[in-house]
Amino acid sequence: MITPAPAPASAAAVHPEEPAWLELDQLTERLNLAVDRAMGEAGLWAPMLAARAVRQAEGDPTEAAHLLRAHRAALPRLAVSVPVATSELRVVRRISSAFRNPPGGQILGRTVDYAGRLLDLLPEDEGRAHVTDEPLAPADDGHLHHDHDHDHEHSADPVAVERVPGNVLAILREMGLVAPLPERPDDPEPYDITRRPARPGAPRSAWLQTMARGDTGSLVHLWWYGCDWRPDHEIPGELRHGALPVRIAHPHTGKPVTVAEVRVSEVESFYNVPRAAAQRHLGVGYGICFGHNERKSIAMAGLDLALAHYDADSELHHDVLLTLDGLDSTGYAQHLKLPHHVEYRSVLDRAEAAGQDANPPGETA
Amino acid sequence: MNTLSPTRTGTGASRAGALAGPDPRPGIFDELSKRELRRAMLSGIAIPGYQVPYGSREMPVARGWGSGGLQATLSLVCDEDQLKVIDQGEDAGVNASNLRRLITEHTGAGEETDTRAADIIQSRHRIPEQPLTDGQILVLQVPNAEPLFRIVQEMDEQRRMHAEADYAKMWVWLYEDIVHNGLITAAAGYPVLVEGRYVMTPSPIPRWDVPKMNDSDAITILSAGREKRLFAVPPHTRVVPLTFDDRPFEVEYTPGTACRLCGSDDTYLVEEPGENGAPGTWSCSDTDFCTRRRTGDAPADVAGQPVELARAALRRATREQEETS
Repeated sequence: MITPAPAPASAAAVHPEEPAWLELDQLTERLNLAVDRAMGEAGLWAPMLAARAVRQAEGDPTEAAHLLRAHRAALPRLAVSVPVATSELRVVRRISSAFRNPPGGQILGRTVDYAGRLLDLLPEDEGRAHVTDEPLAPADDGHLHHDHDHDHEHSADPVAVERVPGNVLAILREMGLVAPLPERPDDPEPYDITRRPARPGAPRSAWLQTMARGDTGSLVHLWWYGCDWRPDHEIPGELRHGALPVRIAHPHTGKPVTVAEVRVSEVESFYNVPRAAAQRHLGVGYGICFGHNERKSIAMAGLDLALAHYDADSELHHDVLLTLDGLDSTGYAQHLKLPHHVEYRSVLDRAEAAGQDANPPGETA
Repeated sequence: MNTLSPTRTGTGASRAGALAGPDPRPGIFDELSKRELRRAMLSGIAIPGYQVPYGSREMPVARGWGSGGLQATLSLVCDEDQLKVIDQGEDAGVNASNLRRLITEHTGAGEETDTRAADIIQSRHRIPEQPLTDGQILVLQVPNAEPLFRIVQEMDEQRRMHAEADYAKMWVWLYEDIVHNGLITAAAGYPVLVEGRYVMTPSPIPRWDVPKMNDSDAITILSAGREKRLFAVPPHTRVVPLTFDDRPFEVEYTPGTACRLCGSDDTYLVEEPGENGAPGTWSCSDTDFCTRRRTGDAPADVAGQPVELARAALRRATREQEETS
């Protein structure tokens, strides 16, 4: 039975001019997508710090990402993690638009995708009463209970479903539709974009890193704008959101030890790009980013597909490597607000000189 | 072999200290990054005008607000240093004040406005009027590091042109400017040739300041944080603005103008438009120098070169005018 929780004493009522302090768990639980986006664009997994950053940035994810990156830049590197396969991903959401029922099943999880975009117009106190006793998302059986009493149990955790389904990519590989994994005994160290500036010609690891912490809006735009390279769109074979372990080699034993866990959104997209050679394999594009940000990983996977089909000196490579960083683009836009009068005076001087030259003083104007 | 050595049992933070070196103050820039910057600066000094890439860190200021200059300054500044930060020549501008406070709060450096007393001068868009001396370092903030970016867009091609000193397209570009406009319209950030080898942007300093870079007693570091590269002009290096023999390099100069505060007509002046159609007034952009001129604490004749260039241009213009009339 729902017993409406007593309305919490509103700080706004006590100090009308001073809004209530935003607690960190309010941010991580109720504005989780903003916190996730800040972490993704910062390239730092630290939910509590990210919540602080979002609060300090007054809700601006780009500004929050800047706070996190500046903080991160001053931290020493303690260790480099061991690669983990995303087949270990404990999913809370996993969908495949390539198969009706992929092995492991479709796990819808928590999403607003299928809800009607109806603005919540419930009176504030009513809405508050509902959410204080209710999980935010529909229960597993897909129905909401805020408008009727009921006596069956709900799981307290809306993301209680935890599964580790196999990758759709592996299935396609078994079917021979995707090129088999190359034998790479010389698996090269990935490019580190935080230490070496990535310029056109940089390897795939550089462009994947750049996109993974790129600005979500810029990334989606570039993907959307670049759509004209293909007659129809790629298919996300799989979209997953879940937790991945972070492991480092134990300093004594050398064996991998799990030291943390991060949440990621991962997308593998497929497209059959016709090429001159009789290629029978599907092209695969990969997208991954921290937190729950599906459109970012979809756009990233789409761009990854496209990048593989362009030369390193193409405009697309240039744009991906050099224009997607939110700190770069917003910093440059913001710097226009700084005084430029010294430069402006110089420009005016040339404009006047050019004008005089066009109309020498001796001639009639 | 499970005996834990004391260092192994240390916390992550203390082990981090051992790895990254001592960090007495909560830092905004770690020691390893500072070392990377210093190495890049040494490379830049060894090859004047060459753009050295570095892994630019994110700074507590936005990219475009001096993040590159800030990294250079933080890597150079010592506790006993006096630091001057100017924006458009002003020490008191909001941006300059914020940067100066940020740096002095996180290092032991002292705040300074007198150009003569500063060990490190971080500047946006200006070189001080007071001639710099041996031992001083000028750090210029650079928004666009590549002088060839208007001419070729491909970064590989830009690098090839620099590597082979193939600046033919740059000369053609300047020539076309003269054909179209009658003069070279490059305003601030006028392209220069460093020690006869690399074409470089001097950052968007006005042309007035370009001659000060030539044969300077001080070190100039130019650092672009967003573009992740820096370049340098060591002391006593030739820095020559690109121009043609029959087109002398021209600096900003408006005849008859003088600073309304100190009366100088041999400094870089900026105009303040008058209200309601009243004529505009002019004042020094270098506020430290202007203040000292008023108290008689500044040299009567500075740098010489910019103002001589300006007057030469004026004499030439007057002569041409007389010839045509």
